[in-house]
Amino acid sequence: MNNGKIVAGIDAGHLNTKAVLIKDGRILSYAKAPTACDVLAATQNVLNEALKNAGVSPDRLSGMYITGVFRNMVETRTLNVGGTVPEYIADAKGALFLDNKARTVIDIGGNVHMAISFDESGNVLDVIENDKCAEGLGIFYRNMAKVLGVTEEELSELALRATKRVSVAIQCRLSAESEAIDLMCQGVEIEDIADAIARFIADRVAAMCTYVALRKKVVVAGGLAKSQAVIKHLQNMIKEEVSVGDLPEYVGAIGAAVSYGGAK
Amino acid sequence: MSELGSMNKQMDWKKANVIVAGVDVGSVTTKVLILVEGQVYAWSQVRTIAPKESVFNAINEVRYQTGLELQNIQYVVATGRGSTQVTFAQRTMSEISCAVAGALRIWGSSVRTILDAGGDSCKVIHCTDKGRVTDFLWSDKCATGIGRSMETFADLVKKEVTEIGDIALQSDQFPKLSDFCVVYAQSEALDLIRSKVPLKQVIAAYHYAMAKRISTLVARSGVKKDFVIIGGLAKNPGIINWLESILKVSRLAPKPEVDPTLIAALGAALFADAFYRRQ
Repeated sequence: MNNGKIVAGIDAGHLNTKAVLIKDGRILSYAKAPTACDVLAATQNVLNEALKNAGVSPDRLSGMYITGVFRNMVETRTLNVGGTVPEYIADAKGALFLDNKARTVIDIGGNVHMAISFDESGNVLDVIENDKCAEGLGIFYRNMAKVLGVTEEELSELALRATKRVSVAIQCRLSAESEAIDLMCQGVEIEDIADAIARFIADRVAAMCTYVALRKKVVVAGGLAKSQAVIKHLQNMIKEEVSVGDLPEYVGAIGAAVSYGGAK
Repeated sequence: MSELGSMNKQMDWKKANVIVAGVDVGSVTTKVLILVEGQVYAWSQVRTIAPKESVFNAINEVRYQTGLELQNIQYVVATGRGSTQVTFAQRTMSEISCAVAGALRIWGSSVRTILDAGGDSCKVIHCTDKGRVTDFLWSDKCATGIGRSMETFADLVKKEVTEIGDIALQSDQFPKLSDFCVVYAQSEALDLIRSKVPLKQVIAAYHYAMAKRISTLVARSGVKKDFVIIGGLAKNPGIINWLESILKVSRLAPKPEVDPTLIAALGAALFADAFYRRQ
C-alpha cells in the first residue's frame, strides 16, 4: 500500500450513523450503526469498524469529516474532526462522486427527505426539503415493517407482488400508519398493504420534488433508496427515470470525505 | 406469571357449566380473556400482526395454559379494531360497550368517565351506573397513534417502552414540545437530543406533550368521577402523572386482578356470558 491520504467521511443521521474510508478516489471500506442517543459512541463505532474492514490503523487517517443532522454533536476535540459539511452539500458531492452523470439527488432518510440539484462540479444549484407533515418517512417504513411482522427488505418484496390497489392517507405518517392498520384489521392482503405503504412514501417524496427542477440524471440516496417498491412508484410519479447506486446509504458520508479532498 | 398470559389455578373448567371468551383485536395487541361461571379464569395477550393468525396465537396460548379447546368455549364475543377477523365469534360488540362493561365490573358502578388510551386511538366514554353510554368522544386525527408512538419513541431513544414512563418522572424541569401533532413532537424531541438536552429531560418533555394532547381531548368532553383509565397507556406512570395534574383529577388505581389492557376483552367476555345465558 502506498502512502496516499486516507480520509474518513461520517454521516451522523437520525436513525443510522455511517462511515466510509476513501483513498485516492477509491472507497476502501464502509460501516454503519444505529445512531441511538449517543452520536459520539456511534461515530466511534462505525469509524473503528470501517478501519477494521479496510485493515488500516487509525494513525494512517489523515482527516475525518462529518455531515448529517447530528454533525455538530460530535465533539471536535475528542475525535479530532477536521470539519463539518452541510447535508445537502455532502449529498451533492457524494452523488456526483458515485455517478459523474448525476445532477440531482433525492435523499430519503429516517426523518427528513430532500432533493438537491447541482452542476458538473458538484456545486449546489437548488435544494428543497420536506414540509413538516411529511417528516419521518424512514421511521414510518421501519414501523410498518414491524407492524406487519416482516423485515424492511421483505416489505419491499411484498409490495412488488401486490395485486390490488389500496391506499393510505396522503398527509402525515401517523394517519397513514393508522389507516394501514385499519386495512390490516379488515383482512386486506399483506402484499397490497405493503404496496400502499411504498406508494405513500413515494407520493410524499414526489410532492416535494414538484418544487424543484429535476436535472438529469436523477439518483436516489438514503436508507429508503434500497426499497425497490418505493423507487418503482417514485419513477412513475415524477415521470423521470431514477437510478440507485450500490451504496445509497453512504452518499452523505462519501460526500463529506470528498468535500475535503478525499477524491484525490 | 407469564408475560403472555395467566390463569386462576383454583378453578377447574372441566366441572363448569358456562365457559365463554372475549377477544379484543387491538391495533397493537390481541387479547383473549376466558370467563368460567362468570369469573375471570385465564387470559392471554399477543402482538397483532396478521389479525387472523394473532387471534389463533392468543387462543393457543390459553389452550397451552389451561387445556381448554375452542369447542369447550360456548360463546365468543369479539371486539376491537379487527373484531371482524375473529371467524369463530358468535357476535361482535363495539369497543365502547365492552370498555364500559369491563370497567364497571372491575371498579364498580361508581365509574362515570372512562379514558381508553390504547395503541391507536384515545376514547373518552361517559356512562351511567347501569352501564349505559351517555356520551363518547373519539380522538381526532392529529392525536391518533399516541400509544403506538410511545413504542416508536422508546425505540428512538433506545429504551424499553415499559421503562420510559418511570424515566419521565425523574425530571422536574424540561423544555416544552409541540403538543398538537405526534409527528411534530417526535421530531422536536429528536431536535432536543441533537442540541444536547439530557435524555431524561427529553423523555419527560415527550411524555408531558402526549399527556397534554390526551388531556385536551378529555377536557373537551369533561370528567365526572369516578374516573378510570384503561388501555396500554394506563401503565405508563409518566403519562398518568401529568394527565392527572393537568386535568386536576385522580383516577381510581388499577386493580391487580385484571390488567388495564384487558378491560375491553373482559367486557366482551361478560357480554358473551350474558348472551349465552339468555339463549
